Amino acid sequence: MNEDDDRITVHRCREGDRAACEQLVVRYQRPVFNAALRLLRNPEDAKDVAQTTFLKAFGHLADYDPSFKFYSWIYRIAVNEALTLLGSRKSFEKISGEEADEAPGPERQVEGEQLRQAIEDALMEIKVEMRAVIVLRHLLHLSYKDMSDVLKLPEKTVKSRLYEARQLLRDRLLQRGTI
Amino acid sequence: MAHREYITLIHAEIDGELDAANRAELARHLLADPNARTLREDLRRLCTELDALPEVEPPAQLRRNILAALPQSTVKRPALSLSSPYWRLAAVLAAVVVAGAIVFETVKGPGPAAGNLSGTIAARTATIVDTVRLGDGPVSGRVSLLHERAQWAVEFDMVTGAPADVLIVSGAHRLRVNGIAGPDKVGGPPRRVTLPDFEVSQQPVELSFLVAGRQVASATLRQPADR
Repeated sequence: MNEDDDRITVHRCREGDRAACEQLVVRYQRPVFNAALRLLRNPEDAKDVAQTTFLKAFGHLADYDPSFKFYSWIYRIAVNEALTLLGSRKSFEKISGEEADEAPGPERQVEGEQLRQAIEDALMEIKVEMRAVIVLRHLLHLSYKDMSDVLKLPEKTVKSRLYEARQLLRDRLLQRGTI
Repeated sequence: MAHREYITLIHAEIDGELDAANRAELARHLLADPNARTLREDLRRLCTELDALPEVEPPAQLRRNILAALPQSTVKRPALSLSSPYWRLAAVLAAVVVAGAIVFETVKGPGPAAGNLSGTIAARTATIVDTVRLGDGPVSGRVSLLHERAQWAVEFDMVTGAPADVLIVSGAHRLRVNGIAGPDKVGGPPRRVTLPDFEVSQQPVELSFLVAGRQVASATLRQPADR
């Protein structure tokens, strides 16, 4: 995202310019909604989280420090909202800490749509903290630094979590014989 | 090298974060260890697929709901009425400025023609470093790499039949810009995106154009070697 554009638009929105607020919604509704969707999988939940994210952001614009990137700030709100929703529905989570069986299944090297589906399923099987780093890196294409700002974690922790998350996904896909 | 160390190097390599020494170290290890090669291949494939996961268009009512729920305090302030003290003050200030300008012109005489000033005032300050034209595919037009006051930027002047996003990658830096072009933007001014922290002098800038989450075109911009 263009940070200068954001800075100006956020300033205008803070000043009460409704068109500027709308511009921010147009600019960020897609990444925010998609990040929420990947974290939650349910489109209705993702819509609710996206809506809450924007309303919280606009309600707290006075607290936003413009020396930070606006998108890091709004993504942080979105991730927190999604985590809160998941926390309130513990049963939604399918967390499993067991080691994966690395033996390749009979249908190794599945192509295209099937592999994509398997990845989406596997994503929902790993812990939400792991899923969050995958979403920030591979869906929102954030740098380690931006991920660290969003998650309020040191870059080193972000990296090791990302590496672990990818390993877990690979293990899940190996179990299914889809990679 | 310990098992854990080379796994870290494989991930760093995928993220474009590996320096030359570590890349050589990893290459040596990969040559010697077929399991490491398999792991690297799997992870690369996984990351490629993750990067290409399709995005979903948010429901139309999302934007409407958000705007409808915005508190009134964010509604644009009403225009000031002509009878307000602000307008009276503005009118007095405008009159003073106009009177001052008339006095100045009378004393100083006519200045140079506007055309004589255009070279300094209207000159484009950014330098075009590289330009790539995109063909007649789903995305067509021109993308340019610009340099201005130690800052890099990419300018997009494009036409697409559907809303397009762009993923900009240079070394370890990535930037995704949604809605860079689309049917609703035809005839509009070129869009410029600054590249904060990008080391363009050392790495080319790879652009991937995505429509509905799928790559439909790509381009590479680079600083020429003689610069």
